[in-house]
Amino acid sequence: MTCQQVQLKLSLYLYGELDFAQEEELERHLEQCAWCERALAREKTWHTSVNAESLDMPLDLLAGCREDLRNAVRLRNSAGKWKRILESWPERLGFSASSWSFRIAMASFLVFIGFSLGQFVRAPGRFASLTGVSEMGLLNPYTSRIRDIQAGGDGQVRIIFDQVRERQLVGQADSAEVRKLLLSAAKDAADPGLQVDSVNILKDQDGDDVRDVLLDVVRHDANAGVRLKALEALRRYSDDSATRQGVVFVLEHDDNPGVRSQAIDMLAPLSGRVGFSPELANTLEEVIRSEQNDDYVHMRCLQVLQEMGAVSNVY
Amino acid sequence: MEEAALIRSAQRGDAEAFEQLVRSYDANVLRMAFNLLRSEEDARDVYQEAFLRVYRNLPSFRFDCSFSTWLYRIVANLCLDQIRKRKVRKEEAASITTAEGELDRFQLLAEGRADVDPQRQLMSAEVNNRIQEVLAQLTARERLVFEMRHFGGMRLRAIGEAIGVTEEAAKNCLFRATQKMRSALGDFV
Repeated sequence: MTCQQVQLKLSLYLYGELDFAQEEELERHLEQCAWCERALAREKTWHTSVNAESLDMPLDLLAGCREDLRNAVRLRNSAGKWKRILESWPERLGFSASSWSFRIAMASFLVFIGFSLGQFVRAPGRFASLTGVSEMGLLNPYTSRIRDIQAGGDGQVRIIFDQVRERQLVGQADSAEVRKLLLSAAKDAADPGLQVDSVNILKDQDGDDVRDVLLDVVRHDANAGVRLKALEALRRYSDDSATRQGVVFVLEHDDNPGVRSQAIDMLAPLSGRVGFSPELANTLEEVIRSEQNDDYVHMRCLQVLQEMGAVSNVY
Repeated sequence: MEEAALIRSAQRGDAEAFEQLVRSYDANVLRMAFNLLRSEEDARDVYQEAFLRVYRNLPSFRFDCSFSTWLYRIVANLCLDQIRKRKVRKEEAASITTAEGELDRFQLLAEGRADVDPQRQLMSAEVNNRIQEVLAQLTARERLVFEMRHFGGMRLRAIGEAIGVTEEAAKNCLFRATQKMRSALGDFV
């Protein structure tokens, strides 16, 4: 093991996460190398400094959490009890809830109730007399856009608005409609949280449409967290040439070191040997030339070039 | 009662067994969420949501993995969501939310170590500020892996299982986090 290799492994050594052979080799090196021993001492120092950052949990926090959980579980159980009672009331009245006649009777009754309520609500001025605002109960400022406001002569105001109605779609992730919405949400840069959730689901899906959207996200999305997530999701397509081109683009152009690190790990997995590829070698040399500040990317590029047996004139 | 028996009793609706199961893990879960999110309110939310999910889904738990893996997978996902949302909202602040209100981290440090010599105290505060900066710059996953390994003492294999990646990927994540930490603290140590 060289000094550089030892120093890269010091943290994992302190965490006890090296395998036995690596640990032995590292300890043998440390016994003979004062420089690396000093590096180990420095590593221990920062580990200790970071330990001081651990916050003491307030004593009453745990007790409060336990109490809240107990209440929530109790509430859930009692809600379940009411649900069971509601489900069983037809039987108590001597009907069978599963019989078709009962179902048809209930459906007709509900249609009648709905129709009657509709007539009642639509009657002009019915609610205006109560609240002074007609139909405004429908307006939710978070889901609506106001188009026009006109003041009337008698203190009345006329507002025209578009209303966005919330809908719910439940279905298998690979069904056409769900998939279409997931692909659209993955590209919706206005809500990175939603993008991450979509990509999380899409990562288990196959298909060129999924791959193309993920590639689009890793190339163009402004949020590094989202790009990172999309890059992870592209792992299943890592043998595909379009994907590799996309990942190379990321390695060359992305301004986030974490994303670039992930890209290089994808092009050259840590666990496998990388076969020689002139294109990859050129890219890595380009990256080494431009990479000034990110030790990990720099180190990995060198490592991959060495593994490929590519002679590099940049180091 | 051993854990598997507790789980089976809880699956049959035994509230006491469920509570015992919660108590075997909840202090660690809460400590992890509190340290990661640095907010009592957020840690409380993660705790509540995690154990309610466990409660709701326990009847379908089939012992395909260990209970702790399953629980930490839920907790890790909730924490990752919180961190990501917070990063999106750019709310990573230099303060900690406690029951007494917002407290500045620097203030906390100064109060906690008032007996130390001032120069050293200043240096220590500087180191701590730097650590906080690096922690805030880590990706959500790096932050989570670092927290679970460094503060939680979990093995990388268990961390990988909890966050749904291989042990090797968790190791890479930890490696990146420690590299960033080392280069940021280089001048101080």
